[in-house]
Amino acid sequence: MSVETTTESAPAPRKGTNILLGLTLLGLLLALWVALGFATNAFWSPNNISNLLRQGAMTAILAVGQTFVIITAGIDLSVGAIVGFTSVIVAWLLQAGVPLWASIILTLLIGVAIGAFHGFGIVRMGLPPFIITLATLTSLRGIGLLITNGSTISISHEGFTNFSRADFLGIPSLFWMVILVGIPAFIFLHLSRFGRYLFAVGSNKEAARLSGVNVDRTIYLAYILSATCAAFVGLLLASRIGIGNATQAEGWELQAIASSVIGGTSLFGAVGSVHGPLLGAFILATINNGANLLNVNSFWQRIITGLLIIIIVYFDQLRRRGSR
Amino acid sequence: MSSLEELSRRHEDQAGLAESDTVPRGAPILELRGLQKKYGLVEALKPVTVSFLAGEIHAIVGENGAGKSTLIKLLTGVIRRTAGEVFWCGKPVQLATPTEAISRGINAVHQEVVLCPHLSVAANMFLGDEMNRNGLMRKAAMEKAAQAVLDDLGFHLPAGARLESLTIGQQQLVATAKAAMRGIRFIIFDEPTAYLTRQESAQLFRLIRRLRDQGVTVVYISHRMEEVFELADRVSVLRDGTHVGTRLIGETNENELIALMINRSIEQIYHKEQVPAGDVIVETKGLSGPGFEDVSLTVRAGEIVGLYGLIGAGRSEFALGLYGRQPVTAGEIFWEGRKVSIPNERVAMALGIALAPESRRDQGLCLNLPIGLNINLPVLKRLSSGLTIRRGDAARNAERQIADLRIKTPSRHVLASAMSGGNQQKIVIGKWLSHGARLFIFDEPTVGVDVGTKAEIYRLFGELLKQGAGIILISSYLPEVYELADRLHVFRGGRLVASHDHRAATHEDVLTQAIGS
Repeated sequence: MSVETTTESAPAPRKGTNILLGLTLLGLLLALWVALGFATNAFWSPNNISNLLRQGAMTAILAVGQTFVIITAGIDLSVGAIVGFTSVIVAWLLQAGVPLWASIILTLLIGVAIGAFHGFGIVRMGLPPFIITLATLTSLRGIGLLITNGSTISISHEGFTNFSRADFLGIPSLFWMVILVGIPAFIFLHLSRFGRYLFAVGSNKEAARLSGVNVDRTIYLAYILSATCAAFVGLLLASRIGIGNATQAEGWELQAIASSVIGGTSLFGAVGSVHGPLLGAFILATINNGANLLNVNSFWQRIITGLLIIIIVYFDQLRRRGSR
Repeated sequence: MSSLEELSRRHEDQAGLAESDTVPRGAPILELRGLQKKYGLVEALKPVTVSFLAGEIHAIVGENGAGKSTLIKLLTGVIRRTAGEVFWCGKPVQLATPTEAISRGINAVHQEVVLCPHLSVAANMFLGDEMNRNGLMRKAAMEKAAQAVLDDLGFHLPAGARLESLTIGQQQLVATAKAAMRGIRFIIFDEPTAYLTRQESAQLFRLIRRLRDQGVTVVYISHRMEEVFELADRVSVLRDGTHVGTRLIGETNENELIALMINRSIEQIYHKEQVPAGDVIVETKGLSGPGFEDVSLTVRAGEIVGLYGLIGAGRSEFALGLYGRQPVTAGEIFWEGRKVSIPNERVAMALGIALAPESRRDQGLCLNLPIGLNINLPVLKRLSSGLTIRRGDAARNAERQIADLRIKTPSRHVLASAMSGGNQQKIVIGKWLSHGARLFIFDEPTVGVDVGTKAEIYRLFGELLKQGAGIILISSYLPEVYELADRLHVFRGGRLVASHDHRAATHEDVLTQAIGS
């Protein structure tokens, strides 16, 4: 009687495949590191490793926020623009003499507000996520340029700019920020009911609604988290380069989406994790870093990234199909 | 020559079906000899030997998981057999790919419509087989031809309309017309009437008979016995992957077929628990909203209230209004004697209302998520301490529902999409059993569900009643509401038009009231 259900189409349990994908990505990352270690002496130098971790950290945080949105079957194209915009905001606040703590909180709140605006556009105005976040992408760059009058704002606050160069326990502080974001994100997505609601909304909005899930609130939550992660990265970037500039972080939204997809997130929604996008971000950072060290033309880096996305997602598709 | 025959001839010419590939009416067109399918060590289909004759309607019945879908997939080339032989018009064939099946003239109409909702009816009917002239599509000609076929078949459908503007039932008719147009020799209908109204079913049956009269072999898979007896010439029964018999329809009866399928009699299926009616749980007075108007009814503890009517009569809309999913524009709701307003689903759940909605696929389940998550979705709040879910409790809750409802799955981590219709329905019910409620609304709970699972679901109703719950049972299947409901309300055009006590009216009366002629 149970013949059909037990054998014909039972896919491997989700839990197992999640771990499997994580291990595969980790293996790929380690393999890249070993290979680059052989290819060039400079790779394993402490300087370079710190540099790599700093490069990857910001994309990684963006990718985690982006993943929440993609799991609900949405997309957030505005994150790169938010990074640039909030770097302007924090620079502007600091130069206006606002205390550091207040500047940071205000900047993060602006991230919350932008995310809430996205939620409003999607839930109340019925706009597709692609459209509303595309609109903020271009307008935020414009507002940032208006504020700075097209130039940049230098940050003279020493403590703020020193932070990104600092180490703690021999590890760059920027990488600690990944852990600071990653652990609560993991608890939120994988251990809390709100995480389950993201998956449910991404899988079937109507079924989630009829099961008592507050779908509107869940969508607000996803976009607010993504925009807040982006505002946080804006702070880190401002600290790293010491200026606020609305045109910074061009194309980072695509990096974030790429990291998320490499990390096993499905653009159709309801499939994703926290560790996947983190690994995806550092795989991308490693490829860029390695290409620099090997003097590969930077144009090639873009091509390699594109090919990597195709290869990894293709193998993921094969694996999913194979388990059917 | 009718427009349908003309078009199917055109398709056959293009496909290059050889004239030699025909057999006289009544001779075997497709013979299965020891056909077998194994997945690993498990036999989904034990060796089956059966012949399908040219120009017969051959019904296949069996419970979910009996091997019906495996058989369809083998015949349509979706999966490959493990052992056995297939003879098409007397010659051995591979039937290894869907393309091969289609090129031989084997076609299937699936239970769920697989068409493009944004394209027109005509575009869907000609999809993949468009009429061209000099590389450009002949849109007007195709629309005209499609309309001719639809009119010819007696379907009153506009060929120019967008498919999504039609009801699910009408879309199913389009899918059927499309298959019929493709010059088929052999057509398989998989539960085609699951989403059809009575009139639409009647139209479909006319088409099926007409295909047979043209010499097409029809394989008809259904859970509805009355359809099998109305349509079929012969019927084959599958149980547990075994072919347990084939009968001429005139030499068998419903009781024998059910006995072959499940070893259980029909009285045991519609088993009605006699529970004395208690206090009023909910009362609506003149409730109106989108799709329903001025509905007043009462549900007591220990009582099943049946809502019968055609699809679109306003029953599901009323349920969604009561559940807070659709806004209520007028009227009052009294919950346990107290006037309440139910602005959203969460308020309804908090009061004690549970809704197992009409469409499992669109409203009931998150199909690409695990069974366990689906079952726990309404109760995650209760299963959480602080921010995090108590994983042990969540696992126990899901496992308990899987065991209690006998959901056939190796693990709670399996995706809901991998389950058969009956098991999916059990997952939907399991969600609400673990949540608990005083008023259960079941909207078409047995569509696409086999007889055995039906009996289990009805027994469950009895359990709920004994625990003091009330049930609103919405169904388009008259015997179900007729046998089970303590009070039967008939809906037509969004209004409650008649009410009867248990078995007080005849089937004919109820039908007439629902159709309104």
